[in-house]
Amino acid sequence: MRGFSSLATLGICLAFLTQARAEGLARAKGAGPSPAATLPTDTVKRLRSGDAAQVKAALDDVRMAAKGGAPAVPTIVDLLKRGLPEPLTESAVETLGDTESEGASEVLGWYSRHRNAAVRRAAVQSLARTRGPSAVKALRAALSDPDPAVRGVSATALGTLKAKEAVGDLFVALDHKVDEAAASIGQLCAGPDCERLAGKLGSVHFDVVTGGLDEVMLRPAPDVTDDLKVKIVGRVREVGTAEANRFLKEVQAKWPPRGSARVKQSIDQAVLATTGSPGAPGSTP
Amino acid sequence: MKGRWLAAAALASAVACGGGQTRLNLFSTDWEDDGGVSIARVWQRVGSLPVPPAADVALGVAGHADKLIGLPLDGSAKWTFAHPLDARPIVAGGVVVVSGGGEVCALEATSGHVVWRRPTGGLALLGAGDDGTVTVAAFRKPGDVGSVLLAVAHDGQVVRQIETDKMLGAPAVLGRMAFVPWAGQYVSVIDLSNGDEAARVTLREETSRAWTQGGALWFGEVGYFRFDERMRDASKGRATHASVPARKLPGTPRLMQPGYVSQAPLADAEDKAREYARAVGSDAGATIEDGRFYATYFRIAMGFDATATGDERDAGPGQPDVGPRVAWAHLHGANFLGGAAESGGIVLCDDQGKVVELDAKTGSQVAEADLGEPVRACVVNVDSRRANGAAEATPKSLAAQLTDVVLADDPQLVVAQRMLLKELAEMGDELATKALVDLASDPRTSPDLLVDARAALANRRNGATYMEAALARHYDYLKDVLRPPPVGPIAHALGAMNEKAAAPLLASHLFDPADTDDDVRETAAALARVGSTPELPAMRQFFGMYRASAGTDEVTDAVVSIAKAIVSLDPKASRPEVEAAAADTMTVAGARDRLAEVLTPMTSDAGLDAAKKAK
Repeated sequence: MRGFSSLATLGICLAFLTQARAEGLARAKGAGPSPAATLPTDTVKRLRSGDAAQVKAALDDVRMAAKGGAPAVPTIVDLLKRGLPEPLTESAVETLGDTESEGASEVLGWYSRHRNAAVRRAAVQSLARTRGPSAVKALRAALSDPDPAVRGVSATALGTLKAKEAVGDLFVALDHKVDEAAASIGQLCAGPDCERLAGKLGSVHFDVVTGGLDEVMLRPAPDVTDDLKVKIVGRVREVGTAEANRFLKEVQAKWPPRGSARVKQSIDQAVLATTGSPGAPGSTP
Repeated sequence: MKGRWLAAAALASAVACGGGQTRLNLFSTDWEDDGGVSIARVWQRVGSLPVPPAADVALGVAGHADKLIGLPLDGSAKWTFAHPLDARPIVAGGVVVVSGGGEVCALEATSGHVVWRRPTGGLALLGAGDDGTVTVAAFRKPGDVGSVLLAVAHDGQVVRQIETDKMLGAPAVLGRMAFVPWAGQYVSVIDLSNGDEAARVTLREETSRAWTQGGALWFGEVGYFRFDERMRDASKGRATHASVPARKLPGTPRLMQPGYVSQAPLADAEDKAREYARAVGSDAGATIEDGRFYATYFRIAMGFDATATGDERDAGPGQPDVGPRVAWAHLHGANFLGGAAESGGIVLCDDQGKVVELDAKTGSQVAEADLGEPVRACVVNVDSRRANGAAEATPKSLAAQLTDVVLADDPQLVVAQRMLLKELAEMGDELATKALVDLASDPRTSPDLLVDARAALANRRNGATYMEAALARHYDYLKDVLRPPPVGPIAHALGAMNEKAAAPLLASHLFDPADTDDDVRETAAALARVGSTPELPAMRQFFGMYRASAGTDEVTDAVVSIAKAIVSLDPKASRPEVEAAAADTMTVAGARDRLAEVLTPMTSDAGLDAAKKAK
């Protein structure tokens, strides 16, 4: 039952990561999901109208404009500082995230401590996109939020923001069953921290730890050395279970053709070594 | 069985009657008050006799109610007596009366040696007395159809056996006169030499027990009557009397068990919640020894000021006077099962077989002894012993003692903890504030106690340092701080104390999502009183964030309080904000009118003056 629960949590986490990564890749290639709409000229006027319906419609226009909605950001920030009814608050918070404007991070930090958990969740999700030091600060604080979803999203967002200074906090979060922290640690860790993550094998659920180790293995060589990757493969190989075999096979399949031959060799050997593990394909019943 | 009693009855009938005395009808209900003549005559006869001291001993019932352990409190060696028990053993003078296995035995209290034993046919032992030569014991007949009074000399000879259809209480004996309480109001004096009722006295208070203690003979159940020359006026309510002041106690304990009830050999819930006191006589009358009475509740022992006769303290709306104050409280390691008040303190024994002596004045433990094994019931008798062990040089303060008790993580103690919490809450000591803060912050505190602790904390008017230290803590999942401090009550208290130094801490709690809505309301209300310019940015941020999204009445109240604060502190900048909010349909409906009211007084000269002053 515990395993099922952890797997379910991991599933949510992976889904979030997959989406984030896909969007990231798309952006990197300059091919967004859909071209951003142009911001209507009367948007700011409608935002300032004081009429809830007009404000909502204007917020929708800003969202459609994505980064192109930046000119409306100061007005939305001002609206949030002056206060909006709860549904509009949530909408405004999400809209600021879509603009990816760092200028929104301060007010999003305010709302990451709102009394309504849904607003806080929206705020930390948006902070992952608006970035900046104040976003990192707010997200680190949100790791201690009473709401598990806020904690989880914050952990993921810190990875997305490459907030290396938050690795210590993320380890504490991982020890407190914030499973999403593992993947972020995998994205951010330097040598000893990556080894520390691998050291969690056995004490933290396997799928949670490998969610982070997977990130480590796929990071480029200057960031994570081949020696470290070989060590990690060795740690997983020592686990010697069917799930270790499955993980190693996944890494093997994803290994880039031009990736390190030495690491590739250690992965291949580890896959072979764990093939006979109990429950693994090829094992003797 | 009947045959045995009949044999004894034959012995009783052979005893001659005394000549020239008023012959009363034994335990008759058509008796007429003789104005104290007969009891005065008894006083003349036995009043000058020395009353032998009763044994100072602790008795433990162990095993399956088939083992008795005796521990003389003078330090002599303990003894054991293997015998089935069907009633709680009774210390009577220098003997221990034991009933079970179809017989009754008297044992030397100091050694456990059998003094005498008689068959009973399984009658239930009610009580016993002993004057050093004769033991009298009362038994209840099966089916509650009456009682038997048995007097046995220490040589084992039955001196007297009286059967009656009346329900007798626990008797005493002095100078071969048996003092037998019955019907809840009479004490009949039976002359054991002839079996006649030599005297009777009517007492104006529930009375079912007679016993000797401190060189005197006493009657009572809910109070204490001393047998002296004033007993002749007992029916007029003028007997020498002492009583324990009324006070609500956890478990509603009895001072004494009714003498007409046979106590089971094994302890029950009533034994864990008991009240103890000891009457002491003087030329002036009788009083409660050391001015202390005591109560136990599971593993808590408490001493109370017996000289305070109910000081009409208000225990809260709709609650009656709760009587004398707690003088001390002692948290023990195991449940108390029995005890006895003594001169200078109280001796208590617990279910682990430990016997402790606590100082009457401070509750400090002054001595300890051990029955050697866990016990299932315990009886303590103390007569001439006086607590004279070395009390702690610096005994804990009452506030510290109460703190220990209320913070004990033991769900069975909650009823007593609530009572003691109330005592703690009424103390001026800052330690009391600290205890309340700790209690209200501890995730292990029971919900009932938490409610009381929060309410008491809100009413504190000292200990601001402890409150501020608590406010510095916030819910923090990663640091395992999973219960926020009691922000609401602390804010209420700090606001009432006008504790301006707390304002920054209070402001930080405006934005803690783990605090309750009520906490936020109280925090905002406190800030309206103690907030100053440095808190303005936080307060304005709060006003902006919630004036249109306050989800509850409490948060709406907080918005209004903060509006008052910011308009008062910085009218120039804040007034337009509040005015705009009051006019904005997006502002929560419950706040709009009230915001308008906040603005109204500021238009008057008085309001403007107040604003200037605040600034």
